[in-house]
Parts: sequence; structure tokens; C-alpha cells
Amino acid sequence: MSLPEGLAASAAAVLGDDGVILEPEQLKTYECDGLTGYRVLPALVALPRSTADVQAIVRLCHEHRVPFVARGAGTGLSGGAVPVADGVVISLARMNRVVDVDLESGRVTVEPGVTNLDVSRAVAAAGFYYAPDPSSQQVCTIGGNVAENSGGAHCLKHGFTVTHVTALEVVLPDGELVYLGGKGLDPPGPDLMGLFIGSEGTLGIATRITLRVLRRPEAVRTLLAAFDETSDAGAAVSGVIAAGILAGAMEIMDRLTLEAAEAAVHPGYPDAGAILLVELDGNAVQVEDDAARVEEICRESGAVELRVATTDAERVLFWKGRKAAFAAMGRVSHDYYVQDGVVPRTRLPEVLDRIGQLEAEYGLRVGNVFHAGDGNLHPLVLYDRRNPGEPERAKELAEAILEICMDVGGALTGEHGIGTDKACRMPLMFSETDLETMMRVRRAFDPEGLCNPGKIFPTPRLCGEVPGPYRVHPLELAGLGERF
Amino acid sequence: MASASEEVLVGAGSHPALVEPATVDEAARVLVNAAGEGRTVSIERPGGDVVLSTARLDRVLELEAGDLTASVETGIRLSALNRLLAGQRQMLALDPPGDPTVGACLAGNLSGPRRHRYGAPRDLLLGVTVVLADGTVASSGGKVVKNVAGYDLGKLFCGSEGRFGLIARASLRLHPLPAAERTLVVPLGSADDAFRAAQLLHHSTLVPSAIDLLWRKGGGSRLAVLFEGSERAVDAQLGAARELIGGTENGGDEWDEARSRQAAAQGRISFPPGGLVQTLHTLDEALVRPGLGIAFTSEPVGDSGDAGARLLGERVRAALDPGGVLV
Repeated sequence: MSLPEGLAASAAAVLGDDGVILEPEQLKTYECDGLTGYRVLPALVALPRSTADVQAIVRLCHEHRVPFVARGAGTGLSGGAVPVADGVVISLARMNRVVDVDLESGRVTVEPGVTNLDVSRAVAAAGFYYAPDPSSQQVCTIGGNVAENSGGAHCLKHGFTVTHVTALEVVLPDGELVYLGGKGLDPPGPDLMGLFIGSEGTLGIATRITLRVLRRPEAVRTLLAAFDETSDAGAAVSGVIAAGILAGAMEIMDRLTLEAAEAAVHPGYPDAGAILLVELDGNAVQVEDDAARVEEICRESGAVELRVATTDAERVLFWKGRKAAFAAMGRVSHDYYVQDGVVPRTRLPEVLDRIGQLEAEYGLRVGNVFHAGDGNLHPLVLYDRRNPGEPERAKELAEAILEICMDVGGALTGEHGIGTDKACRMPLMFSETDLETMMRVRRAFDPEGLCNPGKIFPTPRLCGEVPGPYRVHPLELAGLGERF
Repeated sequence: MASASEEVLVGAGSHPALVEPATVDEAARVLVNAAGEGRTVSIERPGGDVVLSTARLDRVLELEAGDLTASVETGIRLSALNRLLAGQRQMLALDPPGDPTVGACLAGNLSGPRRHRYGAPRDLLLGVTVVLADGTVASSGGKVVKNVAGYDLGKLFCGSEGRFGLIARASLRLHPLPAAERTLVVPLGSADDAFRAAQLLHHSTLVPSAIDLLWRKGGGSRLAVLFEGSERAVDAQLGAARELIGGTENGGDEWDEARSRQAAAQGRISFPPGGLVQTLHTLDEALVRPGLGIAFTSEPVGDSGDAGARLLGERVRAALDPGGVLV
């Protein structure tokens, strides 16, 4: 814990004594995020209350060449908020004001520490809501959502955080302030805001965020279809997409996940090999038409039972098991590792088969719960850390699943981010040239590399000298295609 | 077929030289050669010593009907791509005026009336392969609809006007072709009328695909509202909208007029949708997207963006093209 001379005192002078944490016991609170396997103790935690405070602490870090990591609620699942040893953590928790609600424009402006759900709460009475809905939405913050470009079950139709942010106030890594975007859309110039969102805190700190809120739909209908096999549920998803139906969400849970959910929160799901949840929202007549078609498609795909939620209470029950799926795994396994990968949605059945083969090969069970509509898998690799070698095998299995995602032209992460956890896996998806080009952009924002270093990009220190086997990027592979 | 480097030589006598690379590698060689000769390059527009045309970079690389995605070389025109996609009852939901290439849509961040429902090019872009001025060929994003791995260079290049590099290949999100569409047209007397109608729609549960205000201060302003979906749903929405804001159904001529007014516009401004009245008072004639806060004006407008953001954009440009080859 060696901070440069004077930095702590200068920080305290700006932020006040209660705005700076230096005691090792208190610092421990900040040593990891939701992925608790990575832990690093910072030297100092700063608790700014304003944009000016953030600028001041960032300027101090810049002046002393000390790395800093911005932190929201710490619910991230990729180690994106893991501190740098001897560095500074800037917690945005105290910047939690809803600054402006402008319903006529459909915009809400917040500080980064406001929780996701509080945005919807701020406009609920007027019939509006904020669409991105990560499972942690009760506690995760908008600042963190911006860093990770968070999605959620309903981003299938309504898009990710980047679709719903219209303006950002950003403190750059040298402490300068820039304003990107506005309340109106599509300002001229390059989409720096689109680049910033999802850059995992490596390009600066968002201190004020303007969000688009949507009118609550006229109708919402949630269908639950039970199948004998997960692949049948997958076929139903393909059928719905092929029919040109834009569902709000399509989620699949397999038998293992269903068992766990039933034990944990008793949602009363049918006893089945897999269930598919399809949520339709929008114009009431459109929802009715689409729902009839979805029911048909599910039957054609072999659904053994169909239920329809027509009241909010029924809908909540349908979603209860799905939202609790990760935590419920504790009921059937001592430990579990959550993977996050993406495959083209037409490849889902094949990928599920291959995951099944891996289970047999590694002698471990995998629960499959996923955002089927957009091909985003969340396999839960079950293990027991008390058995020697099992944690390592579980991690290997999870990595093997990622390689399958790459084989079929998918992505390393759909919503949890690269962070610390997958930085060394980036060469699976991107060539050295791809990564160097991204680094050029990073250096334009942060020439000294002080802003959340060690995340996203593989480094020899982190990964060793030899990168993993590079597979041709999906777009390059597509480039080999024939002229139509 | 002459190689790109030969063509650069062939064109060297005339000024500017027009070069039409047929592959990504050829495009990279064009840029490297031009840079080596100290010549500037402009992409798909005049201005550089060398004009790089993407006319031959127009292949469709992959169509995945079941995934609602397509990968293309960006020289393909919207009409050509959408003709192909119509065969599988799908579309790339971009409708800017004219018939630009996909690359022009991305580099200029061009959209049309249906931006209201489907988003801007940046919202439909899943991944890119770009070629930088030094010949670097780099990819970002992917071809799946959900992906947060690495920086989203595709978004960064949206609106970059060809100054950051050539967007050579793009993976795109597609949408199903709607079964039916109908248009409601509402005559408006004043800016206050326009605001009232726009707010009624905004606060309603109707789901229009486009809302365009054809604004003329002296009179004759109209609001055009497009509904798409199943026959029954479009009927229901049109009926409900007529009850809400009045107007009559129209065959859809307004959209042609909207697009041609957009094409003829001299300027573009962004404004808070709640500030529609104030914005309209400053404009004699404009094509306005009230739900989005965008107005295409008949008069040129100054750059109102943040100076810090402009400076940052310039830093990024300098990082990608330090020699200033792309103009």
C-alpha cells in the first residue's frame, strides 16, 4: 500500500475525511466485484459526491500517475471493477440523484450511482419505464450499466443500454470533462458515446447520464411452453423468429435449472425437460395475433404443455424461477460457475448437444439457462470445491464452452463483459491487429493507461507470452463467402 | 481485372484518380500506396487526390435468414440488398433518401422516417471490418445480435464521414417485413398543434413506425404517422390514432415528400423532443422527426456540438490516421 506522497492528503482535502477510505479493513469491501475469485486490495477508495469531485480525484491520479478504477454497485460478473494494486478505487455510490425527469422529451437524467430500477420508479406513475433489465436491476447502477452495456431478458426487442442512452457527461482520464450526445438523437460526428458505452470503464468515468424511457405497452402476454427436450424448445425459438415475430423476450431453462428453481422459489413450473418463456408486448391486437402464432409454433415443435399468463401476478410467477435461476443452483450444487457466451441462434440445438458431450467428458453437470431469442447462453457449470481438482475441471469445461461459441461464429460475452476474467481469451475472437487497433483508440482517450488498466486487453503479465489459438474472426470468415 | 495498385498508377495522370478496389486487400493497398506517395484519399466522394469508390466492394457475404442477420461488403446499395432480403421476407430497416450504399449509411449515420422504430445505422450494426489509412485491416464486434466483447469500433465509425478509415465489411441486424402498413395524415395549424399531436402520440400506447412532421411556418403543415404490423393490428392502431389526433388515411405519398425534403435539407439539428415548439419557431420550413428530436432544415445551421467532444473525436482520428491521408 504505497501511495505517492501527498495523494491521500490531497484527496481528503477535496473530498473531506469521510470521502476517503484508507483503513485496510474498510478497503477490503472494495477488493472484488460479483466475480469473487479475483481480489486485489486498493490503496485508497474515493467517494466523490459531484462531477467536480470526480474531476479532482482523477486529476490527482493523473498528476501522480496512479491507476484508478471506477466502481458502481460491484455486481459485475467479469472482474471489471477489480482494483489495481496500490491504485485508487472511485466509488460512484454517493452520486445517486435523479437529476431531471423530462417526460415531454421521454428523458431521465441521472447520476451514475442511481440504480437501474430507480429509473423506472421515477417515471412509473406516468406510465413509462426504462427498458434494459439486467437480473441485478434492484441494486446495479446505471454507471455500471453504461460501462458494461448491460442487457437483460428484454433486450431482445428493445435493445441494450447503448440503445437507451442519449447523452453522457464524461470525465476523461486526464480529468477533462466532455459532453457526448444530447436529448435529441443522432448529433453529427462519430459516435463517441456508442464507443464509450460498453468500454468497461477504460475510457473515462460517466458522471451524468441521460436515458430514454419508454411508454408501458398496451398489452403484455407471457407464454410458458413445456418440452421433453431442450432442443425442441430451441426449435420453437427458431420457428418464432422465422415467423417474423418480434418477441420481447424468449428464455429457455433446462431440466437441471428447473429442478433448482423449483426447490428454491417454487414457481410451480411443469415437470418437463425444458421450458420456454415467450413474452410479447405492444399493441393489444398485435400481441393477440402473435400469441396465437407462437402457441401454434410451440405445439408444432412438440410442446407438451402450454400456459398463458394474463395477469401481472401470473406473469411474475412465470419469471420468478427464471430470475432466481443462478442463485437457485445453490440448491443442487455446492458451487457453480456462470459462463456467458453467444452463438448464432440457428446453431442453438447443435451447441446444446456439444455442451451435453462436454458434461460426459468432464464428469460434471451443466445447467442451461439462456436468453434463447438472441443466442446468449448462460451455462452454469456445477462443481464442488471440496473435491480436489473439481474447480479446475469446471473452469476448463466453461472455457471449452467458449471455444464452441467461437467455432460457430459467436461471441466471447453477450452481457457480462470481458473484464479481468476473459482478457486472456480475447485472442480467441480477435487478432493481434484487431486488438492493437482498439488499443490505438484507447490511447487516444488515455495515453498513460491509468483508467481501469488490465481489463479487456490481454497482457503478457496477465496471460503469459503465448496467446490462445486464434480462430478467424466471424466477419473475416464471412469474407470468404461467395458472390450471391 | 487490373490490380488496385496498377489502377492507382493508371489514374495517376488524371487528377483526381478514381480507384475501385474489388477486395478488402486491394482497398488496403490503395490506401498504403496513396499514403506512400503523399496523396490524400477521399472515400465515395470528391476531395482527395485519390477517390476510393466501393462500387466493386458490393458482395453479399452471408445471409442467415434464421438469425435475421446479414454480412455484406459495404459498397452494396440499400435497394440491391433489400431486393435480395425481400425474398426471405426480411429487410435492412434503413430508409434514408436516395439509394446510398450501406457504407454511406454507416459513415454518414443516415436514416429515414423509420428511424423512429428501428433505430439508426449504429443500432443495426453488429460488426465491422475496417481498413485504416496505413493498410491495417481490423475487425470489431461480430455477426451475432448480442455481443459485448471488446471495443465497438463499428459504432465509433458511424458518423465518422470516412475520416477514420474505410468501413469495408459490415454485419447487420435485419427485421421481418411487416405484413401490412398504413399511414395517417393530420393537417396542423400551428407549432402548438404539432406539439399537442406529438405529445398525445408519445404518451399513448400506440406503436408507430414513423412520425414525420412536414413543417411550413406559413401554413400547410402536416404530421404523417406510419403503422406497420399484422392487418388487424394496423387497422386497430390507425383507428385509435385517428380518434386521438384526428386526420385521414393517406396512401403514403407523404413519405416520398418527407424523404425528398430531407434530401434537399441544408442542415440538421438535434433538439429535446419536449422543446418542439421552441424549435419550430426558429424554422420556416423543415422536415422534423418530433419523436426523435431531429430536424432537417432548409437553411444551413452551425455546429452546435460540444467543443471537448470535437477535440476528442479529432484525437481519435489522429490515432487512426496520423498522416492525415483520409480527407
